[in-house]
Amino acid sequence: MSSAQSSVITIPRDGLAAEDIAERNASTVSLADRRTGNDNIPSLVQALASLLWLPQAALLATSAEMMVAGDLANIEWIIAGVIAVGILRALLDAFGTRLAFRNARRRLSEKRREAILALARRSPLDMDKPASGLAASVIAEQAEAVLPYLARYRPARMKATIVPVGILICIFPLSWVAGLVLLISAPLIPVFMALIGWRAKAASEKHLAEMGGLNAFLLDRLRGLATIRSLGAVDHVAQRLRANANELRIRTMAVLRIAFLSSAVLELFAALGVAMVAVYVGFHFLGQLEFGAWGYRLSLGEGLFILLLAPAFFEPLRELSAVWHDRAAGEAAIEALDQLSITGIEMSGGEMEPHRSDQSVGAASVEIKDLTFSHAGSQLPLLDGFNLEVQAGERVALLGASGSGKSTILALIAGLAPCQSGSIRIGQSLLDENSSELIRKRLAWIGQKPHIFSGTVSDNICLRRADMDDEDINAALQTSRLHNVSNAKGHNYLGEGGAGLSGGEVRRLALARAAIKSDADIILADEPTAHLDMVTANEISDSLLAMSAGKTLIVATHDPILARRMDRIIVVGGAGSEGEI
Amino acid sequence: MRLWNAFGPIISLFLKERRGMLLAGALLAAATVLAGIALLGVSGWFITATAIAGASAATALVFDVFAPAAAIRFLSLARTASRYGERLTTHEATLSVLAGLREQLFRKSSQPSTTNSLSLQPSRTLFRLTADIDALDSFYLRILVPAAVALGTAIVVLVVFGTMHLLFGLTVTAWLLVAGFGIPILAARWSAQPARRRAHGLEALRSRTIDVVAGQTDLAMAGQLRAYRQTALAADTRLATADDALNIIESKVIAGFGIASAILLGAVLYGAVHLVEGGDIKVPIAVLGILVSLAALEPFAGLRRGAVELGRTVLAARRLGPGLVSASPPLPFQAPTEDMAIELKNVSIRFGASPLPSLQDVSFVLEHGERLAITGASGAGKTTLLALLAGEVEAESGDVKYLPATLLTQRTELFQDSLRDNLLLAAPGTNDDRLLEVLAIAGLAEFIEASPDGLNTRLGEGGIGLSGGQARRLALARLLLRNAPLWLLDEPSEGIDGETARDVLKRLADQMAQHTVIIATHIRREAELADRLLVLERGHVKASLHRGQPEYHAFLESLRPD
Repeated sequence: MSSAQSSVITIPRDGLAAEDIAERNASTVSLADRRTGNDNIPSLVQALASLLWLPQAALLATSAEMMVAGDLANIEWIIAGVIAVGILRALLDAFGTRLAFRNARRRLSEKRREAILALARRSPLDMDKPASGLAASVIAEQAEAVLPYLARYRPARMKATIVPVGILICIFPLSWVAGLVLLISAPLIPVFMALIGWRAKAASEKHLAEMGGLNAFLLDRLRGLATIRSLGAVDHVAQRLRANANELRIRTMAVLRIAFLSSAVLELFAALGVAMVAVYVGFHFLGQLEFGAWGYRLSLGEGLFILLLAPAFFEPLRELSAVWHDRAAGEAAIEALDQLSITGIEMSGGEMEPHRSDQSVGAASVEIKDLTFSHAGSQLPLLDGFNLEVQAGERVALLGASGSGKSTILALIAGLAPCQSGSIRIGQSLLDENSSELIRKRLAWIGQKPHIFSGTVSDNICLRRADMDDEDINAALQTSRLHNVSNAKGHNYLGEGGAGLSGGEVRRLALARAAIKSDADIILADEPTAHLDMVTANEISDSLLAMSAGKTLIVATHDPILARRMDRIIVVGGAGSEGEI
Repeated sequence: MRLWNAFGPIISLFLKERRGMLLAGALLAAATVLAGIALLGVSGWFITATAIAGASAATALVFDVFAPAAAIRFLSLARTASRYGERLTTHEATLSVLAGLREQLFRKSSQPSTTNSLSLQPSRTLFRLTADIDALDSFYLRILVPAAVALGTAIVVLVVFGTMHLLFGLTVTAWLLVAGFGIPILAARWSAQPARRRAHGLEALRSRTIDVVAGQTDLAMAGQLRAYRQTALAADTRLATADDALNIIESKVIAGFGIASAILLGAVLYGAVHLVEGGDIKVPIAVLGILVSLAALEPFAGLRRGAVELGRTVLAARRLGPGLVSASPPLPFQAPTEDMAIELKNVSIRFGASPLPSLQDVSFVLEHGERLAITGASGAGKTTLLALLAGEVEAESGDVKYLPATLLTQRTELFQDSLRDNLLLAAPGTNDDRLLEVLAIAGLAEFIEASPDGLNTRLGEGGIGLSGGQARRLALARLLLRNAPLWLLDEPSEGIDGETARDVLKRLADQMAQHTVIIATHIRREAELADRLLVLERGHVKASLHRGQPEYHAFLESLRPD
C-alpha cells in the first residue's frame, strides 16, 4: 500500500484541443506505448515492490496465529522478517521510481532536442513553420506533461495489470469465495466508472478548460492595463474578474459533482470489497459460512492473510485512477513535440560546420539565373525565371510592392531556403548546401523586423560572437547612430520584441548588426525605411550608404526616395515581369 | 520566520475567502483516511476474534456478530461518503480561493509602478504569473489538507495505542510525528534550491526557444545559429539536472517513508506481542493495533509531493504575496490653476537605471480647450510625455500639474469580451441607447446594424475580429464615453489606411470642442488638428510653434504627408 493520493485539479491549458489531438492519434497509440524492452524494467521493479507485500502480509498473519497459539518462541525472527522485507520493498520502490524517472527524462530531452534542432534548421520562408510563441510554449510548458505520463502513468498501469493478478493467484487456493468477491468487484469498477464518467468527463474537461480561460481573461486584461487605468476601470475589471471566477466555480462544481461520483464508486467498491472479505471470513470462522475454502476451514493466519491482501488488491487501481489524467496530457504533449519536429523546407547548409576555407572567394558579385520560387500550396509562383546580375561594388534597389517577391530574392541569396530551380552565384561559388555557410560569412543582413534578444543593446549587436570586442561594438554603434540609445539604455535589458525601442531604433539595431560584420562584402537590406518618419528614414538611408562604401549593396524596398539613391533600380513586378530603370 | 513572511499573506487570503469550507474540507479528508484505517483495524479485530470464538462451538454461538459487521458496513459507506464530500469541498474551496487570488493579483498588477516589467516583457511576465498561480494551487490541496489529515491521524493513533498502554501510545505517536513530519520537512529543505532552479530553467528554455525560432535569420546571418541552438539545449540540460535532483529527493522520501513504516510495523508488532504476553491486551486488540499501524504513515506520505514542490510554492508566494496585503497609494495628482489644463515646469523623467533621461527640463503650459501636437523623431520622448500626463510614470524632478486625462494608446487595447462590456469599461452603467449613440458618432453605426448580435458581439483576445479601423473607432467611442477634460492621443490614425484614417480623424476633430487635446504624432494630417506644435528632440523641447507663424507651416510641410 503506497501513499494516499491527494487528487489535485489540473487545468489543462489547452483542454479540449489536446483531447482532440489525442483522439486523432488514438490509432497510432503513442510512441511511448510502442517501446518495449528496457522501458518496462522500471515498471516491473515497482510492481515487484508492490508484490513484496505478499510475504510481509504472510509474516504478519503468522505472527497473529502464533500469538493466539501462545507459541512466541520464534517471534523475533518474524519481526525481523517483517522489517527486512519492508525495507527491501521501500528500497525497490524508490529504485523503480528513479529508473522510471530517468528513462522518462531522457526521452523528454530527446524529444525537446529533436524539436529544437528541426526548428533551427527549418527555413524562415517555410509558411508552415510554427510561430515562436507556440514553439516555446510546447517545448517549455506543454512538454512538462511528458514526464508524469512516462514516469508515473505507465508504471501505474503496469502495476494495475500485474499486482491484482498476483494477489488473486495467492487468494484463490485458500478461498474461492474471497477470490471471487475481489474478482467481481474489480472489473465492476471500470464499468461503473465508465458509466458515470462517460458524459461527466467530457463536460468536466470542458469546464476545466474554461478555468484556463480564466487565466486568459486575466492575461488579456493585463496586456491592456494602460487603457484600463486611463479609463479608471481598475475596480470595475477587478469585480468582473471575481464575478467571472465565481460564476465559473458554480458551473464547474455542478459538473464535478457528477464527475466525482466515479471516484466515489471506486472508493465504494474498494471499501465494500474489504468489508465483504472481512465479514465472509468472520462468519466462516464462526461456522456460519462453511463453504468457500475448498471443503476445509481457513486458519486464522490464512483468514488474516486474505484480509491483508484485499486493500492491496485495490490499491493499484486507485493509483492508476489518480494518474489517469496524466495520460491525455502526456500523449498530447508528445504529439505536439512531434509536430514541431517535422522537417519542412530547410535552410541550405544549416547543419554544416562553419569551417575555415582558404578557397578563393572571388569578387563580391551576385548572379541569379532563372530563379523560380513558390510557396507551398500556392498556385502562382512568386518568382518565375528571375534573372539578375550585380557587379562587385554596385548598389542596386529591388523596387516593388509588398508581396512582389523582393524580400524572397534577398532570402534566397542568403541561402535561407533552397532555390527550387535556377542558380545563384556569389563571386565564383555556386550557392548550394555545401557553400552556403561559407557564403553567408560574406553577407551582412539588415532585416525588416530584427529579433530583439533578451539582453542589452551591446548583447544584441554582438550576439555572443567570441571575436567581437568593445571597440568593434562601439564602431558599429557609431556607424548605425545607435550610441545615444546604447548610452540611454546602458546595461538595461531591452524589452521583448523591442518594447521601449522606437521603430527607427530597432532598424538602427539591424544596421549595427550588419556593420559589426566588417569583413562582409555584400550587404542585403530588406525594407530598411518602411514605416518610418521622413527624418529617421533619411538618416537610416545615410547610414546604409556610408556602411556600404566599397561593398556590394542590394536593397529591397518600396520607398522611391531610397531607391533613387542607388546606382540601379530593378522593378520586381508580379511573376517574371521585372524590368530595369 | 522567513517562510511565514512569504506565506502569511497567502494564508490570510485563504482564510479570508472560505474559512469554514477550508476547515470542512480538511476535516472530511481526515474522516476519509480515519474511516479507512478504522475499517482495516476493525476487520482485523473481527476476524481474529471470530477465529478465537469459532474454536469452540459454544463461544461461536454467543459471539455477537452484528455490532462489528454493522461497524464494518458503516465504515465502508462512511469512507465513500466522506471521500465524495472531501473532493467536493476541497475543490470548491480551492476554486473560491483562486477566484479571490486572481482578483487580488489583478489589483496588484494594475499599480502603475509594476507595469514596467509588464510592458517591457509582457509574455515573460504573464508566463511567470500563470506559473505562480498554478504553483499556489497546490498549497491548500497538497500541503494544508494532508498536514491536517496527518495531525488527525496522529491523535487517533495516540488514543488507540494509548488505551492499550500509555507508554506504547506515546512512543508510537512520537515516532509517527518525527518520521512523518521530519521526512517531508527535510525534503522541503533539500528541494528548495533545485525547485527554484527548475522554475528558472523553464523560463530560460522558453525564452531561448523563442530566440532560436524568432531570431533564426539574424542568427544564421551572424553565423551564431548553432551557438544559440546549443544554449537552448543547454537550458534543457540544466532543467534535467534540477529535475533529477528533485527526483532523487522524491525517491529518498519514498524510501524514507517505506523504511519508517517497516520500523513502525516491526515495533508495533514487538510491543503488541509483549502486551499480549503480559496479559495487558487480548490478541484481537493486538491485531487491530497492527493493522492500524500499517496505514498510520500513509496520510503523512500524502505530504510528499507538496514537500518536494514547496520550493516552487515559496517562490510563487514570495513573488505574489507582498502585493496582496496592501495596494500602494496612487501617484500624487496635482490640479493646475484655473483656466489651465496643463502646467509643466522643468520636468525630467528617467527610466530605471538608465544614465540618460528620457525627458529633460521640459516646460510648457496649455490652457483649457487648446490643442497641441507633439512631434519629433522616434525616440524623442513623445510617448513618455503622454505617459506622464496619463499618470503612468512619475517625474524624477520638476512640477507637474494637469487635469484628469484619458489616454488613447498607440496600439488599440481591446478585450476579449462583448462589444458592450468593452465600452462599459469607460463608463459603467451607461444605457444601450447612449452606447449606440456614441458608436454612431465614432462611425460604427453600420457595423453594429450589420452584426446579428449587436452590442453582444464577442471580440477575441485583444479585440481580434475587428479590422484596424473598426478597432480604432471603438477606442474612439470609449474615449467619448469617458468624457475626461484632457485627451491624450498617441498617433491616433497610425496603422490604418488613408481613407479610414481621414474619417477617424474627422470624427475626432468634430468632438474635440469641449476638450483640451494633446496629439503625439509624426504624420501631417494628425498634426494639422492642433493649433500648436511642440517639437521634441532627445527629450528636450526643441521648438514651440503656433499656428500663423511661418516656422509652424514650414514644419508642418516637413512631416510625412500620409
